[in-house]
Amino acid sequence: MGYLSGIIILLCINAIAAMGVSLLTGFTGVFTLGHAAYMALGAYAAGILTVQHGVHWFLAVMAGGFLSMIVAYLIGIPTLKLMGDYYAIASIGLVESIRLILENWQSVTRGARGYPGIDGFTTLPMALAFFVVMAVAMVNLINSRYGRAFKACRDDYLAASLLGYDTAHYRVLSLAVSGFYCGIAGALLAGFMTFIQPVMFDMTKSTELTSVVVFGGLGSLSGTLLASVVITLVTELFRPISQYRMLIYGGVLVATMVLRPEGIMGSREIWGLFKKTSSLRSKTQRGGVDGAP
Amino acid sequence: METLAQQLINGASLGSVYALIAVGYSLVYSILLFSNFAHGGFLVIGGYICYYALRSLGNNIWIAGGLSLLGAGLSAVLTERIAYKPIRERTNITLYLLIASLGMSIVIENIFVIVAGGRFRALPPVIPTDPVHLFGLTTTSAFDLLSLVVAVIFLAALQLFIVKSKWGLAIRAAAFDLKTAGLMGINVSMLISIVFFVAGMLAAVGGIFLSVRYTLYPQLGAITIKAFVAAVVGGLGSLPGAVIGSLILGLAEMLTAGFISSQLRDLVVFSLLVITLLVKPTGLLGKKPLEKV
Repeated sequence: MGYLSGIIILLCINAIAAMGVSLLTGFTGVFTLGHAAYMALGAYAAGILTVQHGVHWFLAVMAGGFLSMIVAYLIGIPTLKLMGDYYAIASIGLVESIRLILENWQSVTRGARGYPGIDGFTTLPMALAFFVVMAVAMVNLINSRYGRAFKACRDDYLAASLLGYDTAHYRVLSLAVSGFYCGIAGALLAGFMTFIQPVMFDMTKSTELTSVVVFGGLGSLSGTLLASVVITLVTELFRPISQYRMLIYGGVLVATMVLRPEGIMGSREIWGLFKKTSSLRSKTQRGGVDGAP
Repeated sequence: METLAQQLINGASLGSVYALIAVGYSLVYSILLFSNFAHGGFLVIGGYICYYALRSLGNNIWIAGGLSLLGAGLSAVLTERIAYKPIRERTNITLYLLIASLGMSIVIENIFVIVAGGRFRALPPVIPTDPVHLFGLTTTSAFDLLSLVVAVIFLAALQLFIVKSKWGLAIRAAAFDLKTAGLMGINVSMLISIVFFVAGMLAAVGGIFLSVRYTLYPQLGAITIKAFVAAVVGGLGSLPGAVIGSLILGLAEMLTAGFISSQLRDLVVFSLLVITLLVKPTGLLGKKPLEKV
């Protein structure tokens, strides 16, 4: 039971982080290679606040989320103003800089050896509750006016800006919300592991998050959730051959892009398959996204 | 005074190696408008071919270097054929190319982790690293001078190729407008292969010098992130810009390491990126992208 509930908690945490990346990459069309940085910020904020300052865990988790959100907003303003790969390059810089700061700011973060003794506050019901609340919030956000604006920025930013949308503003907003999700996920991870280390939040973790979103389908939330279940379980099952894990992630990325760039679900949603009207709508949307025949 | 002169030479030498990598990256960006994250992989391939050729074919740097350049160039062409060609023929969404290039970079890195092992390897001592006294003013390593000279030779050769040859003219035309260049009778597929071959070759030269400087290991390709930053500082898609940006970056890095602290050198690189994006997002020599509606 302990192992099983551990896996379910991990699944919830991974799914929350993947939803954040899905909003940015899948729905807004901004590529990221550094979302582990926001998880690191959330994790360290929650850890330091609960251990050193005796803050209640719920407040610490929220503080972790908001810290990541603020950092994401500040990074987004200069880099997302422009179209192109500027944010992708800056995100690598961000994840490296955060790791350098965590490793060298000994007095606060205790350096590269890690931060021990965090209270194990992430329990199964709490992780599930966080997941459900954040998933519902994400579905509502995507179907709101803001969600449509995000998708417009992704599909045709020129048309969106001609319609009067401030596309840079929406991209930055999307990044801030996605930073918040990853910050919360990081904070929950700190409460689950009770020990955090800068190396847990490196490029590998960022790549894993991006692979999950691409594999599940750019622009499909249920696809992202499905993919994060598949990838978390596959990682657990194939622990003995873990040296091939990164090779498989890389292969999955290339193969998905070459063979089926829309991922498992495309831009459809599982719940859309049961409703006739919405599945029709998503079909036309898909045509707009890939431009494929 | 002596330290300053020494650090200036070291900075110019490191910057010229970054320039070899940055021009390849910029060349691909100017044609296909995406950041080729697999570029670091070509550098690692070049480094390993050179290492194994030196070990098995006797210590002849000319043969090993030639094989390394050829191998890296061919693997760059192969990467383009396997991962990018199917995507760019189907859609013009550069996000897909970006994701595929990330996948390829992970695949290449992890092939070397599995096949060659993750440990650090020193190249056999074929490139002289003895100290050299420069006009009694300062002392520097022969390696630094050599890498500076070789980099300048290769960059000059590239400039000649771009300006004087027929394919160079085609590359300039394609950088201006790929589709029109195709309509004018240029074999676009061949042209892109040539661009990748040249980029891979230059990356291999950089890879050999970097593996002498820092030893050789599968993650050495991560250093290309600095070349990306250099290309952004100089202006994405501009070759002279990439060279100037690389020199600025190399000097900034070495002067920080020499006079402030060597732990801060990476942070300086990324703050340079953020400052560029805030002050002049198109970089020093970048063109403002024209929107075609």
